[in-house]
Amino acid sequence: MKRHLMGAIAAGLTLALGVSGCGKGSSSKGDDSDGKTIKFVAAIYSDNTKPFWDSLIKDFEAKNSGYKVQLEMVDWTQMDAKVKTYVQTKQVPDVLNYNSFSDFARDGLIYKASEVVSPQVLGDFTPTFTAQAKYNGEQYGLPFISSARLLFYNKDLLKKAGIAEPPKTWAEVKADAQKIKSKGSTGYGLPLGPEEAQAEFYSWAMNNGGGWVDASGKWTINQQPNIDTLNFLRDLTKSGLTQPNPETTDRKTVFNQFAQGKIGMAIGGPFTKASFIDPANKDLNFGVTSLPSKSGTEHNTLGVMDVLAAFKKNDGKNKEAVTKFLDFFYQKDNTSKFLTKEGFLPVTSSAGAALSADPYMKQFVDALPTSKFAPTSNPAWTAVAGAVKQSLGTSVAGSQPKKVLDEIQKTAEKSG
Amino acid sequence: MRDATSGARGSGAPPPRSLQPRAAVPGASPSPARPSGPSRPRRIGRALTPLLWLGPSIALIAVVVLWPVVEMVRTSLQKISSSGVTLGGSGSRNYSDLFDEDAFLAVVGRTLLWVAGVVVVTMLLSLALGQLLNARFPGRRVVRWTVIVPWAASVLMTALIWKWMLDNYSGLVNRVLLDLNVIDQPVNWLAHPHQAMLWMMWVAVFVSLPFTSFVILAGLQTIPEDVYEAARVDGAGAVRAYFGITLPLLRPAILIASIINVINVFNSFPIIWAMTGGGPGHATDTTTTFMYKIAFYDQNVGESAAMAVVNFALILVMVLLYLRASRWREEVR
Repeated sequence: MKRHLMGAIAAGLTLALGVSGCGKGSSSKGDDSDGKTIKFVAAIYSDNTKPFWDSLIKDFEAKNSGYKVQLEMVDWTQMDAKVKTYVQTKQVPDVLNYNSFSDFARDGLIYKASEVVSPQVLGDFTPTFTAQAKYNGEQYGLPFISSARLLFYNKDLLKKAGIAEPPKTWAEVKADAQKIKSKGSTGYGLPLGPEEAQAEFYSWAMNNGGGWVDASGKWTINQQPNIDTLNFLRDLTKSGLTQPNPETTDRKTVFNQFAQGKIGMAIGGPFTKASFIDPANKDLNFGVTSLPSKSGTEHNTLGVMDVLAAFKKNDGKNKEAVTKFLDFFYQKDNTSKFLTKEGFLPVTSSAGAALSADPYMKQFVDALPTSKFAPTSNPAWTAVAGAVKQSLGTSVAGSQPKKVLDEIQKTAEKSG
Repeated sequence: MRDATSGARGSGAPPPRSLQPRAAVPGASPSPARPSGPSRPRRIGRALTPLLWLGPSIALIAVVVLWPVVEMVRTSLQKISSSGVTLGGSGSRNYSDLFDEDAFLAVVGRTLLWVAGVVVVTMLLSLALGQLLNARFPGRRVVRWTVIVPWAASVLMTALIWKWMLDNYSGLVNRVLLDLNVIDQPVNWLAHPHQAMLWMMWVAVFVSLPFTSFVILAGLQTIPEDVYEAARVDGAGAVRAYFGITLPLLRPAILIASIINVINVFNSFPIIWAMTGGGPGHATDTTTTFMYKIAFYDQNVGESAAMAVVNFALILVMVLLYLRASRWREEVR
């Protein structure tokens, strides 16, 4: 009897271990001992994204026999959690499409750019973006798409309020917003909710000489120009010139209202027309102009860049396949096709010309040289942006701007 | 060897196996120290027998419950880089960072209020609903089905629908209140922490009602009719019968329902995440959403794990206190 019993327990345990062992075995087996199959995790920008990659990969596999690309599409809302899980469970993809790379570079997880794309591709990146893709002086990130911000204004509302020209200075923004409000609409749409508070805030702060870091790269989040910026936005809010509760509003709500002709001005990007305005109201009579600045003399724009990062795997066995795939994607036709479909700006010189043909897009392409970026090459940036998203909005509601910025500064210094 | 020489298995001479242990127990229990009786391996074998039946569930609990708990505690003591790489131990650093968070105490306090409020209201409403569902009336089946609906629907979906109903610009709630002249301009319900909290508690109650009222209903159906009859004969009115018979006899059902609700509501993530995201700032965070924000906004997996451990401890303490207060041992008997 005892022997039976022990046998049964042993069998049960073996089975249990076997099952879990199998699970692990098969998933790590899925990638490529031969180094010819790579996994590519791509972010979903719109409904066009997956069809684009599907056909690109089909094309790639047809032209490079023996090489295979496994595509996984991930929604932006899931991306952060997914990426952390990949790294922690050591199941990283070979190529990842993401919005940051510097902490991977710091932790030695990814290849340098020069190791995974040809010198031609490397030389084709616009220098502005190459600078943003560096960590400790070496380029790790591969610029993928870019975007810029400009001030959108509703021409009909401005006309109704008797405003001839869109505002250039902050004082004009406030005066114009007041005029628009007196005609019964919202003057300025201010999205300071957790979705992208850091972008909205920086679009204003950079035009007041403010920013995240000083010249040496030290965090200067609670500097006076930033406090002044928040005080200005707080004043707009408290004067009732914005939509109610900017601290909980995201861009979607603002541009939905903008598209319905209920908001006079708001800051948007090249994608704003295709993703927010057109679906709600194709006939909206709107214009686009440079971001207003405090002095009215110099107008900067917010630059945003997403990247591709290539992970080290199997002692570098995947390098050849990754290089083949990346060089294929960075061919002019492939990149410009992606950009036009998604409404983003080029990161390579070769794709730039193609986009300038569209007058709406041209305004953004033209603004790119004046763009300032968030310090994405600092590995702590993601945590800082997270802190900004969580708490910056409260500065136009209950909390005082200085206190909020002091807190974020503290978080930034703690993160490194 | 001894097992084989005793030779009991093949011969068929001993009594049926089921009787064998029973015969041995009375002899062994008065003087357990005595080494005689059945041989040692045999006794070990007998002691291990229950394992055969318990084994699978023990294995399941170990893998599905204990292992994650161990991992959670281990993670909370590690330093984990923002990319997800483990950089080594960090001692109690994650905990001290967590307790230093400005929002920490407020979030814990709010979580306790959230749990207490939601569970108490849910229980009171469910007692009434259970009574209604137990009564005989035409269309009872339809009503019972209707009560299940919020349960069948995904919590996330329910929360999102309420979010849109409470929308500042196009929400149904504002429309109705405006038309009824209760308010004279739209209210941005979810932007004001207190109102947002009350609305989210209502949604939490709404999704907890079906389960709770059905547990109560099941409890009501176990109360025999003759107890009520006896009470009526003794002259007890409806109120007296309810407080003297129904409530005391419902105690096991109430106990189970409220413990499960405490755990569910405490860990409830989708309602708050979908409706306010815990904002503005941390003004509507509970420990669960706070934990998520630490991991994915602040990029601090270790500190988030520390929050998870605190969360786990909190709920354990709450359930133990509740069991103690309700003297659950009496229910077991």
